[in-house]
Amino acid sequence: MTLKIPPLPAEVLFHILGFSITNTIINTWIAMVIFLCLGIAIKRHISMKPGKLQNASEFFLEQILGYFDQVTGNREKTIRFLPIVGSIFFFVLLSNWLGIIPGTGNLTYHHEFVLRSANSDLNLTLAMALVSVILSHVYAFMSIGVFTHLGKFVQIKKVFLSLKKGPIAVISAIVEFFVGLLEIISEVAKVISLSLRLFGNVFAGEVLMMVLSSLIALLVPTPFMLLELFVGIIQAAVFAMLTLVYMSTAVEIPHGSRKH
Amino acid sequence: MDPTPAVHTTKALHNASIFASLGLNTQLFVFQLINFLVISAIIWWLILKPLNKKLEERKQLIDESVDNAKEIETNLWESEQKFQEHLDQAKVEANKIIAKATKEAGAMENKIKDEAKTEIEYLITQAKKHIEDERKAMEIGVQKKAGKLVVAAVEKLISKKMDDKKDTVYISKVLSDLSK
Repeated sequence: MTLKIPPLPAEVLFHILGFSITNTIINTWIAMVIFLCLGIAIKRHISMKPGKLQNASEFFLEQILGYFDQVTGNREKTIRFLPIVGSIFFFVLLSNWLGIIPGTGNLTYHHEFVLRSANSDLNLTLAMALVSVILSHVYAFMSIGVFTHLGKFVQIKKVFLSLKKGPIAVISAIVEFFVGLLEIISEVAKVISLSLRLFGNVFAGEVLMMVLSSLIALLVPTPFMLLELFVGIIQAAVFAMLTLVYMSTAVEIPHGSRKH
Repeated sequence: MDPTPAVHTTKALHNASIFASLGLNTQLFVFQLINFLVISAIIWWLILKPLNKKLEERKQLIDESVDNAKEIETNLWESEQKFQEHLDQAKVEANKIIAKATKEAGAMENKIKDEAKTEIEYLITQAKKHIEDERKAMEIGVQKKAGKLVVAAVEKLISKKMDDKKDTVYISKVLSDLSK
């Protein structure tokens, strides 16, 4: 029996019109179909008197809204960010859990695994991280204005204003100017950290499960599968919460720009 | 000193190999980005938005119901207050009516008693008068009867039939005897 460790890049299964289709894309499509079916079922039968499906969905939504409220501070902000943060949470959760359903590590096509957890593909995690960070800036532009938000990063105005106030103010303004530049770097770091954290955790889980299943296939992987279920929730919550924090922070007016 | 073009090429290849080893690929990145955006749209438009809308509607309905319940409770309380006021007022009026009725009943009782008394007195007077008349009539009758009896007895004694002429003569004789 050979031990096949999944490679870092997702395995290409076949091509459609010259485009490569990987096993992680298949997994993403499965998640898409599940959400589509669930969404159609919910939208068709939604009513003031909820059925079982609506009741369960509302329960989960209420729970995560409660957690999101703790970060944003109010429900209005939470609802504003819900389209992206809620989507990230549920998608990451489902795609993580899809990666541990039986068959994910067994089904092969041309000696490649047909299914692989979608978040073990850096392309997807990077795409999600980019969307969340870019949207946090879009929200900021809409909330506090383009120039106010850009002023957080390029604090050149303070340098000019400090020239009239003396040398200490000039030094302080120069320091703030460089802090602003560091903020730009931190924005890039946000994308990298978000994407690599999720990718690393899920990929490590994939490798762990694969190795354990290859060594002792019976019962031994079960606790680790449960652990992966837990990791799936944690990673979904971490990604969603960090996105929410980035968005909440971005829409806040910087201290210097407050009108008194 | 600027690095040579060969060094640039080597660095670019090195960077490209790092990205490739991590699985980063422009085409796959775009695919996954589109996939993610489509899934986000599905989750938001088909799941989260309708659910959130329904939750808001239900919350609004509950808030309205609670407000209505409070209003109804207030109205009920006010109605109870008004009812109590009307009840108290009715009691006062009822007491007044009862007092008035009692007073009127008392007056009527006295009036009836007085009338009855007057009637009785009248009846008694009438009865007494009637008795007196009867008594007088009886006395007259008795006197007549007694007169007749006396006459009859005198007639028997003198064995003569008395008439007015004889009677007058006889009386005169008796009177002259008495004067002697």
